[in-house]
Amino acid sequence: MTERNLIDVSDLGLREQELFSHVDHNDLESEKITAPRYSYWKSVFRVFFKKRINIVILALFAVILAFTYIYPMVIDYDPFKNLMDSSAKHLLPSAALSKFGNSIHWILGSGASGQSTFDAVWFGSRISITMAFICALINMVIGILVGAVWGFSKKVDIVMTEVYNIIGNVPYILFISVLVLIFSAGFWTMVFALTITGWLSIAYFIRTQVIIIRDREYNLASRCLGTPILRIAMKNILPFMTSVIVTLAATEIPSYISYEVFLSYIGMGMSDMSLGRLIYQAENAMLTPGWQFEFWSPVAVASIITVVLYVVGQNLGDASDPRTHM
Amino acid sequence: MIKYLVKRVLHGLVSVIIVVAIVMILIYSCLDRQLVFAADPVYTQLGNNQKTVYQYRKWEDFGYIDYVPYTEWLQGLVADGELAAEKATELAAFGRKAEDDPEEVAAYVARFTEYYQSQGYQVMRLDAKLSKKKVAPGGQQQLFAYKDKPLLGRLWNYMTGLISVDNIHYVKEDIGERKLTFTLHDPMYGENTFAPAIIGNGTRHKYLLYTDNKFPFIHQNLVSINLGKSYTVNSGVDVFESMNAPQGSYVASVITYPTGLTESSADDLHSATYSAGSKDASLVTRERFTDDYTAVTTVKGGLSQVGYSFVIGIIAVFISYLLGVPLGIIMARKKDKLIDKIGTIYIVFIIAVPSLAYIFLFKAIGYNLGLPTTFNMDSNDWKMFALPIISLALPSVASLMKWLRRYMIDQMNSDYVKFARSGGLSERKIFSRHILKNAIIPLVHGIPGTVLGALVGAIITERVYVVPGAGNLLTKAINMYDNGVIVGVTLFYAMLSVISIILGDLLMAMVDPRISFTSKAR
Repeated sequence: MTERNLIDVSDLGLREQELFSHVDHNDLESEKITAPRYSYWKSVFRVFFKKRINIVILALFAVILAFTYIYPMVIDYDPFKNLMDSSAKHLLPSAALSKFGNSIHWILGSGASGQSTFDAVWFGSRISITMAFICALINMVIGILVGAVWGFSKKVDIVMTEVYNIIGNVPYILFISVLVLIFSAGFWTMVFALTITGWLSIAYFIRTQVIIIRDREYNLASRCLGTPILRIAMKNILPFMTSVIVTLAATEIPSYISYEVFLSYIGMGMSDMSLGRLIYQAENAMLTPGWQFEFWSPVAVASIITVVLYVVGQNLGDASDPRTHM
Repeated sequence: MIKYLVKRVLHGLVSVIIVVAIVMILIYSCLDRQLVFAADPVYTQLGNNQKTVYQYRKWEDFGYIDYVPYTEWLQGLVADGELAAEKATELAAFGRKAEDDPEEVAAYVARFTEYYQSQGYQVMRLDAKLSKKKVAPGGQQQLFAYKDKPLLGRLWNYMTGLISVDNIHYVKEDIGERKLTFTLHDPMYGENTFAPAIIGNGTRHKYLLYTDNKFPFIHQNLVSINLGKSYTVNSGVDVFESMNAPQGSYVASVITYPTGLTESSADDLHSATYSAGSKDASLVTRERFTDDYTAVTTVKGGLSQVGYSFVIGIIAVFISYLLGVPLGIIMARKKDKLIDKIGTIYIVFIIAVPSLAYIFLFKAIGYNLGLPTTFNMDSNDWKMFALPIISLALPSVASLMKWLRRYMIDQMNSDYVKFARSGGLSERKIFSRHILKNAIIPLVHGIPGTVLGALVGAIITERVYVVPGAGNLLTKAINMYDNGVIVGVTLFYAMLSVISIILGDLLMAMVDPRISFTSKAR
């Protein structure tokens, strides 16, 4: 140990605060726990927007929403305006654009009654997307509530499992078609038909999740400490389920659109000009050479809508999983 | 284990019965009966009382009500020997109005009314509709009784009639000695060919057991399943039969009829059933048959509805497992690499895009590749199976990939994998020997379901490619209000789903010894 190795602190020119100094013991301060500030929803959006692709898809989603809800309000759409004009029917985009002039209405050509396919598609999507959202909302709310009770109570479990086994065996198409036949095939009938048993599978899924989480050690500990069941459900289990629920919603919403398309195709859809009904009516055009475009444009729009909804939901589901926030 | 299995099967049967009851309530009670006539040209042509009677008669055909006209009741009395036939004809002529009835007729009408009302029937008497002193078209007077079929009675009749065993007391008429004969030499093939058969006299089918050169070589007519008669889809034929009867064009071969007449015909003599007095009804049957077992079906070249659906479905299932399992493994192994991303895009495509859309896409691609896009039963071109199979297999490949990848990735972080890795096992071995075995267990549960599901057929695929399969039976029946078919098909579906869940559980327990159903779970 020589004289050179020792450095005089005052030579470094550091300020008083940057140097070690003696701190008195403080009882109050020592009780504080320091942790980084954590806000759940802020972290969800931070993780969500970290992926650049999500911004693009979200923008696409906004465009779709604008077209489905704002576009039909600002335009004046009459599907039978060109009914008597035989030269306006079944036109390809190029022919329609040259006939009617360059406007956004005709970029997808015209359909069987001379209507603009582009306008028809967005009017149809408004019905289909609204229906999908409403059905998903009803099914998710009922499904989650019932599923939570189902998962918690063993008595309810016995009864509901039997109900699930029985109703699961009744062909879904039968339920829907009978309801469609009893009532008229309108919008709310369709919603009713899709929700009357639709919540059951969601409830079953939630029930399984609840059972998995319910018996984890921390919940056992919480129960031993005397936390009431409702509090356990709200504070210990529900936050855990957020990502599961968001992911589920991501698959549910597009599935109603697909299902509506399917039902329309087999002739049990609703009477409104939804996307499904458009596709169903354009099926003949699909088989006619030169007219296929009429079939593919609503199909393509339906596909884009469902893919966007699905991807947004999946990525939101990923982001809402707290394990990705680290 | 056996006890558990029996319990599961019983549970399954109970739920099947409840399902059938629910469906019966739905279609017989909830549906508007008037809808049956929506596309009925006869109904719109008829007028006045005839229309009403037609309506009730049709409702009886569709299984809604029991319907007894007055004349039928009189015929019943004749059959019982209470009335003479001429007397019945006389009594059948009831008046245009109740006041016009002759005294004797009025007595019988009163008896008819009283008898059926005591049984819970409604008796309806429609007075003649007159126009200018004459009976208006279709306005003849009518008298009948009707009653809604009660749910429990309907359910009981349906369930008890589900399986019928042929017996020698089936034939009501005098038929000589009622017996079953066992022969080693089926008379249809001549005396020298060894072909065991059981031939009945007095039974519904002539051949109760016989052999031929078609799979499964031994066939029986002893036990038959009756899922319900069809009225509009395939008139008068049982659902089970219409699902299983061969389709396509006739295949003629040289056959020898019981009288010894030999000719080229498509008749299937083994299917002969009894039809009273049919032998002497025409020269054609007299020349060929020696008894009244003359109702034969014909040999056809195609498969049955279920047959086509199953062939397409089962090949699709094989392909999807052959492709889906390795692809799922590769995706899990190369997680976040290019191949995983491509696979994920494909999975998203299949999940998100409406199935109708990608089936048409496959069709368009297949058309450009020169594959046949429509199905033709009479052609032997095996290429026509390609597109339906692809359309069914590719989506299920996606779902297999999705789940296998998920399960394998979940397993990848478990302790046993870390242990195996620290023990120096190669990644390949870890994946194939350890992770896969654990990850595949939930998928094994679904295998019986997919195999049996192939029997049901696919709705959109079969419609798009015009496959004569069983997939559209239910939708067709619903569109045509064929209640018998709806109930029958529902029962069939429910049975399959109950069986496949039980088989799935068994298979899972076989693959994974940790799963046990005997001890109480949790």
